[in-house]
Amino acid sequence: MSGMATEGSSAANQRVVENLASRLRRRQVVGSRETALETVLVLRQVVSKARFSNIDQLVEVIRSVGRKLVEAQPKEHTVGNTVRKVLHHIREEYHTATQGTTAAASTSRSTLSIAKFVLQGQPRKQNAPPKASDETRGTLKENDPDDPDAFARTLKPVLMEAIQDVLDELETVYDNISKNAKDHIHSDEIILTIGKSSTVEAFLKSAAPYRKYTVIVADTAPSYSGHDMAQSLSSAGISTVLVPDSAIYALMSRVNKVILGAHAILANGGMFAITGSLLAATAARAHSTPVVVCSGQFKLTPQWNLYHEYGALDFADPSSVLGFEEGNLVDKVDVVNPYYDYVRPELVDAFITNDGDHPPSSVYRLIKEAYDDEDYEL
Amino acid sequence: MPPGTIVAGKDGSSQFDIFATYQSILKNEEISTPLAAILALTELIEKSNAGTMFELVKALNDGAEVLKERTPNPISLNAGCELFIAFAYLFPHDSDSFSGLKTELVKQGQRYAAEALTYREKIAKLALGFIKDGSVILTHSYSRVVMKTLLRAHERKRISVYVTEARPRGLGLRTYDELTAAGIPCTVVLDSAVSYVMDQVDFVLVGSEAVVESGGLINAVGSNQIAIIAKAANKPFYALAESYKFHRLFPLSQYDLPTHNPSILSFPLSSAATAVSHSPSSIGPSGGKTLTSEGPRFMTQEQVACNPDVDYTRPDLISLVFSDVGSLTPEGVSQYLVGMFAG
Repeated sequence: MSGMATEGSSAANQRVVENLASRLRRRQVVGSRETALETVLVLRQVVSKARFSNIDQLVEVIRSVGRKLVEAQPKEHTVGNTVRKVLHHIREEYHTATQGTTAAASTSRSTLSIAKFVLQGQPRKQNAPPKASDETRGTLKENDPDDPDAFARTLKPVLMEAIQDVLDELETVYDNISKNAKDHIHSDEIILTIGKSSTVEAFLKSAAPYRKYTVIVADTAPSYSGHDMAQSLSSAGISTVLVPDSAIYALMSRVNKVILGAHAILANGGMFAITGSLLAATAARAHSTPVVVCSGQFKLTPQWNLYHEYGALDFADPSSVLGFEEGNLVDKVDVVNPYYDYVRPELVDAFITNDGDHPPSSVYRLIKEAYDDEDYEL
Repeated sequence: MPPGTIVAGKDGSSQFDIFATYQSILKNEEISTPLAAILALTELIEKSNAGTMFELVKALNDGAEVLKERTPNPISLNAGCELFIAFAYLFPHDSDSFSGLKTELVKQGQRYAAEALTYREKIAKLALGFIKDGSVILTHSYSRVVMKTLLRAHERKRISVYVTEARPRGLGLRTYDELTAAGIPCTVVLDSAVSYVMDQVDFVLVGSEAVVESGGLINAVGSNQIAIIAKAANKPFYALAESYKFHRLFPLSQYDLPTHNPSILSFPLSSAATAVSHSPSSIGPSGGKTLTSEGPRFMTQEQVACNPDVDYTRPDLISLVFSDVGSLTPEGVSQYLVGMFAG
């Protein structure tokens, strides 16, 4: 039975991965949270069925899945981020599981060096390896020739838990971001937002019962997702004003705060966000209006894009800017309809995340904590 | 001074001259001053007959003091000494004997110095991701890590470089020579032409003498004005710094730097006396001959001496610091320093 299961499971794994990859490629799954969720689910299935007899094999299995998905849609940064996050959690679980057996003795002295000292600061008490007390952990055996599945069998339950943690984080992300909303929004404030970010939507709505405030929503051409946003906010009882994008600058002098959503947060504290965000952020800067970004930490991306200026090199269908009914104009002009703006870190005052509020300058540290350095390139 | 300390200091009566050791280590072109200081200190430990930690740390501090006093610009050297002494101080003492601990420290120092030689390569690789094909880069004076980065970038991308002359030592010309020899299009610009050239430039890339706790940069004089101009023109200003150049210093102004002394920027006591003496005693024009008596004039040695070697660039002018521990925002540097030196 086991032989058949292996064949079957690796084929099944492949199928799941290919399925998501093609849906990503065709843009049937879009949006940073949606893609992240799908990625975790695929990884959960892959890990649950994968066969491996040591940690390196497991990491390689996950990485190759990650590579495939990222290649299918490099613009959805959260796919890669989720894979990195899962790898990070898995390594952590592995280290706690093995600490009792192998590593403990050799940690303190021989690994201490000046380079480490620079990197990790002073060796502290709590960094010392815990005593090997947990006997159940001691049974973890890698590369057991008699029973190659022993390693996987022992480790899998904790791995599943680790993946579940990532999933839970994604599922509770809106609640955790919104829980302090009423401390950020004050009564009688006028808030401007652009596009329809589910995070911002949840954030604004959760403050509504406590505060009476007005939201100005830019209509966000050419997708006009601002219309949906305005609809949703006003149906939640928030006083809402819908304005054209071109009015953002003129209205900014009356705005107390700009709240934006993000598509991805980059390592320098800059971000990709729906087109128009840069316009709003720049106008806010001109009026010294604070710009606050609501985003889950799963959007933290340990990457840099050199080609920020060109709207993250992701372009939408030009027909929403210039339709084919304008036939004689279409072949005379180039139409560019970028999805995202790159907003420089200087233009953002704070990121409100599911784990605290952070200035752009400490984003790199969050990234260092969330992922392992070796996974920056999958 | 306890009899155990071998470094007798300025009186020269010691058998071991740390400064001479330091100088001979520096003859190796690849080794930068902080590393040379670390190596000199390891040698000091080797020669020292200190029998307790207290004596050893005192000997190290005295040695660092000697190096500092005998070097005209001790900033980056200080960074190295500081790192090694802090490490030695915190190193767990679980050797069988004190001499065992000493050999272990020496080994650690030497291993680090060897490892640190790879850091420039690491930084060059990191910075490469920020250099676009067709970039025009402005750099200042001469820096080994900047050279490594530019040469590395040249292998993969088309770049062209403007380099400042960096008076009075003219180190920018060395950058020019080496880049041109490697086939990189390069032009030397006057230090006073930086704002003229800035609009043509994609970003500024400079090396460093030290990166301080505020996240600010200490580098060859002129870096600060380049950073200010880059900021005004909205161009990124990147600094490259190996992590052993992180220095626990918090200057609030130019005059807080340890290199500042009363003679820098001083006014002559009697203005009449100096007004007469502008014989071009220092570096003359290359030909040495001018067509008219009104030919170019140069500062005298005394006038040059009233000028600083390094200046301090505020952190808000710096876009990023590339180091072997990653590309950091200026604030990030202070976190590393706090990790190393604060409880």
